[in-house]
Amino acid sequence: MTKEEFQALAETYGGEVARWPTGLRDDAALLAAAEPAFAQAALARESSLDAALDALPRTRASTALYDRVLADAPVVRRRGRFWRLWLAPAGVGAALASIAAAGMIIGVQLGEQSAVSADASAQSVADLDVSAIAEEG
Amino acid sequence: MVTSDPDEELLVRIADGDPAAVRAFVARKLPRIHGLAQRMLGDAAEAEDVAQETFLRVWRQAPKWRPGQAKFDTWMHRVALNLCYDRLRRRREIVTDEPPEQADEGPAPDRGLEAQDTGRRVGSALAKLPDRQREAVVLCHYQELGNIEAAAVMGVTVEALESLLSRGRRTLRIALADLVER
Repeated sequence: MTKEEFQALAETYGGEVARWPTGLRDDAALLAAAEPAFAQAALARESSLDAALDALPRTRASTALYDRVLADAPVVRRRGRFWRLWLAPAGVGAALASIAAAGMIIGVQLGEQSAVSADASAQSVADLDVSAIAEEG
Repeated sequence: MVTSDPDEELLVRIADGDPAAVRAFVARKLPRIHGLAQRMLGDAAEAEDVAQETFLRVWRQAPKWRPGQAKFDTWMHRVALNLCYDRLRRRREIVTDEPPEQADEGPAPDRGLEAQDTGRRVGSALAKLPDRQREAVVLCHYQELGNIEAAAVMGVTVEALESLLSRGRRTLRIALADLVER
């Protein structure tokens, strides 16, 4: 590698030889060993440009962007629907069981306690998630 | 033709419907694609839009991806760059007669060479580069792509990439002359 070639590579790829094309680094090292002052000056000059370029500020991707990108992913959407579909009948079953249990309690307890059970039953019915079924249907 | 693609395993898992793979892929790629768009466009909001649109295309493409042709990352960079160019073209169509507004780029004696000022000037100098030179600098310096990969993204030979990169850096050196060694 000539000094001119070394200079041209530095001006193209910058002051860090590790970022130069792999196949040229060994030759560059030989040139740098033979002409250390020249090589150091050439690399320092380009390193200062690299450092200036690195001063370019960069805003990180926002959390909202991450959320939007993930929400667009069909896999996540599909899995989400799958679990909602799977869980919806389970939710219906659990609610029906609650209603049955509440009925039994109502049958054996006094009026004041019955009112509490009736509230629980009403809540269980209110908890039924039919939106997923409606959405998929 | 590539022998191995570091994204291949994740892409297979994504195609199999693995949400953890989706999250891992987004964590790996979103900062890079967002950074690419930001440096090409110099606008945070537009960069977010480009990043989101790039991923929409990724989700469509991932199940159909066949390894061995090109790295997925290369394809993704190309998609993001095309979206950037769409926006840059639109800007030029809107600003026809008036030159684009440029930030003050001269060294201000009362401002010194603080990092913020340096960053602003680098951004301005980068924005003024011809598009292809800016693309070469962004891919090689900021995205840290190798020359073969960057050339593949740009659809040019390595020699052409080197020419664009060298000219781009030379122009930046002149624009930032007071900040860099001579």
